Amino acid sequence: MGCGMGKSKLQLKKSIRAALLIQRWYRQYVARLEMRRRCTWNIFQSIEYAGEQDQIKLYNFFGFLMDHFTPASSERNLISHIFRENEICRDTEWERYFCYKDIEVPDSYTGPHLTFPMTFCGVSKLVEAFKHKQLHARYVLQLLGETWRLLRILPNINQVSACHTKEITICGDLHGHLEDLLLIFYKNGLPSSEKPYVFNGDFVDRGKNSLEILLILFGFLLVYPNDVHLNRGNHEDHIVNLRYGFTKEVLGKYRMHGKKILKLLQKIFSWLPLATVIDHKVLIVHGGISDTTDLNTIARVDRHKYVSVLRPPKPTHHAVNGSKTQMMNNRNREAGGLVEGRRRVCSLTYHSSNGLAHQIVDMLWSDPMPQNGCSPNEVRGGGCYWGPDVSEEVLGKHNLQLLIRSHECKQEGYEFCHNRRVLTIFSASNYYEVGSNRGAYIRMGPDLVPHFIQYQASRTSREFTLRQSIGWTERSALRALKEQLFVHKSDLISAFHEFDPNNTGLISLSHWASVTEKVLNLGLPWRVLRPQLVSSTRYGMVDYHQWIRELSITEPKLEISDNSILETMYKNHSNLETIFRIIDTDHSGLISFEEFRQTWKLLSSHLKTEISDKAIADLAQSIDFNKDGSIDINEFMEAFRLVDLSAHS
Amino acid sequence: MAPKKKEEPKPAAAPPKPPEPERPKTPEFDPTTITLEFTPEQIEDFKDAFQLFDRTPANEMKITYAQCGDLIRALGQNPTQAEIMHVLGKPKAEDMQTKMLDFDQFLPIHQHICKAKDCGTFEDFVEGLRVFDKEGNGTVMGAELRHVLATLGEKLREDEVEQLMQNQEDANGCINYEAFVKHIMAS
Repeated sequence: MGCGMGKSKLQLKKSIRAALLIQRWYRQYVARLEMRRRCTWNIFQSIEYAGEQDQIKLYNFFGFLMDHFTPASSERNLISHIFRENEICRDTEWERYFCYKDIEVPDSYTGPHLTFPMTFCGVSKLVEAFKHKQLHARYVLQLLGETWRLLRILPNINQVSACHTKEITICGDLHGHLEDLLLIFYKNGLPSSEKPYVFNGDFVDRGKNSLEILLILFGFLLVYPNDVHLNRGNHEDHIVNLRYGFTKEVLGKYRMHGKKILKLLQKIFSWLPLATVIDHKVLIVHGGISDTTDLNTIARVDRHKYVSVLRPPKPTHHAVNGSKTQMMNNRNREAGGLVEGRRRVCSLTYHSSNGLAHQIVDMLWSDPMPQNGCSPNEVRGGGCYWGPDVSEEVLGKHNLQLLIRSHECKQEGYEFCHNRRVLTIFSASNYYEVGSNRGAYIRMGPDLVPHFIQYQASRTSREFTLRQSIGWTERSALRALKEQLFVHKSDLISAFHEFDPNNTGLISLSHWASVTEKVLNLGLPWRVLRPQLVSSTRYGMVDYHQWIRELSITEPKLEISDNSILETMYKNHSNLETIFRIIDTDHSGLISFEEFRQTWKLLSSHLKTEISDKAIADLAQSIDFNKDGSIDINEFMEAFRLVDLSAHS
Repeated sequence: MAPKKKEEPKPAAAPPKPPEPERPKTPEFDPTTITLEFTPEQIEDFKDAFQLFDRTPANEMKITYAQCGDLIRALGQNPTQAEIMHVLGKPKAEDMQTKMLDFDQFLPIHQHICKAKDCGTFEDFVEGLRVFDKEGNGTVMGAELRHVLATLGEKLREDEVEQLMQNQEDANGCINYEAFVKHIMAS
């Protein structure tokens, strides 16, 4: 008997011991995964913001060109058309240009046929059809034309009521992720007069179904103009679209009519409302606010005049700007230069010439920050960072209780800040990569209390375990990081040399970390990432030449005499593409050799480096696949895409 | 007269309870008694990781008590919850989210955990799980394991158990525990 009791007590003890062992290992497993997830997030976000800064630098350079070069300069001429003031044509002339009536729909077309005025049935059919088909250009232009006409009579700020026991659904950035929009409709139902929706901007760019999302949203807007509300985002801007994929998507899908569609969209974007207010209590705007935000002023502007908020305004107040930048520098030094893991780059000046334009840019580009105050947003290059005191002040001034905004990707799809006075909602799941984040939307009833629904679109039928999905995302982030390291290899090697005076080829780990950060300026935890970036060390030293080789990035095999131009090419991949597309005024996707040469001249001006004419000529020859003297932009960009040898699919 | 009931022999004195595993009976943790034995390289590595966990608005190089355990685990140790509470000075539940540690306060805590006795080898683990192997065939019932993890020791929450067991059970609800251990120990 004593024996039996002892045995079961022993069993219990053993069980507890086993449980404790498993539990402590599990907790370690989870903590390590979380650290990897956080690292991966930081990598994606830093690279994203570095790209945005890069773009702003390019536009600042354009602004500089516009102001300092004589009108006759060829470089200035290449880009001056993007700064042309309001078109002199009247709307009636534009209506003629956008007319769809002469476009025939062939019998072979198997996509949806639209009838106007749009009906709920028609849009639902469109939603279904977009899973597999493309809408004919005739119907695209017709739908967009109707949308343009409707938007012109909408106010700058949509006023919505959540009374009558209607719940409003609020969605954030979609960025061309059609699967997320379909998931939202599946979970929440299609928009209707019983189911009002607010879409808070950034419908396009990055994802591959930006146009389909626009057509669906515009379709519902046409059918339910009082119940569907669209806010403009910073990506509803044709210049931003040049870089982030929407322009390319449209031209790729509509070879003949793409140019017209893009032009019409340019107008539509400028006519999108800037904000939505629910019951005079909840403000919904894409980016956010600043200390100068005044809704009464915003309500009165001619919003359509602000076609692209990225057109650099004239820098008239240099002294003021200089001191502002100095203040920024000082403050960053005090704070250690780190905000949420992102290191700021203090290289952009804050132009304050046009107050109204500023208010609009602020609404579309700003981000909240934890500290009080309001300062220029130099990570993005537009808008500001605003603090909790500004939230209180602006919300108080307008008698509002909550600010809902989007613009920033959040791991859980939403996040509160500023004492729950500000709420970020982001609806594109897997934004950086499969598994990187969930998307979310808000349901809000007459009590104006937000309820959240989260989701994650899955692209594979097999469900990943947590570790698998973190592993997948992490591999993708590391690939992106390795590319960044590779394109900076010359700079890295010469910086390493400074710490290796005897030319041993070795460098200490500390120096490796500090040099890499100095060159790449991404604010990443290099020592934590080291085991995944550096395969081996010798007595705590890194063989840096070997390390660069081991990044395993293949360069495309091309016969180029001048290697340095290649590196410039990789570093400025996006800038080049942007300039090409700006120069390609008729959106044909082709540029002449002369234009190609001019592009490089422009870029070398911006980068302040010398690029020889011979090198440019070689480059042009090597990729003139058609051998007919014109260069296909897409082919060119593809030919110079870096490939990661170690990538698994 | 009924015969005197034979007295039951007094049960042998219960064998001295073996010390509860993983619960050191040491006095309160005193960080000043800890000598740091980390190399400068290691300290730089810890600093980088510490910064990653720092969520303070002005990047003050501070983390909450609640994050301490996670950071130590992320750096490769696997203490029990009890050990963590011990080195933090047995804080109250509400302190976990509010009280902060800076890097200098963190180091002796981390050092102490690093020096703790064995954290369990692969064999210990397999031995531990063998306890649940009723048929001695290298498998345990998933349902039983879930129950144990949620009710004994330093209980896991239901969602944590789910995550741990995801894709581990076969069609009969059994788990091959050697594979399971490999899965947990490889991260």
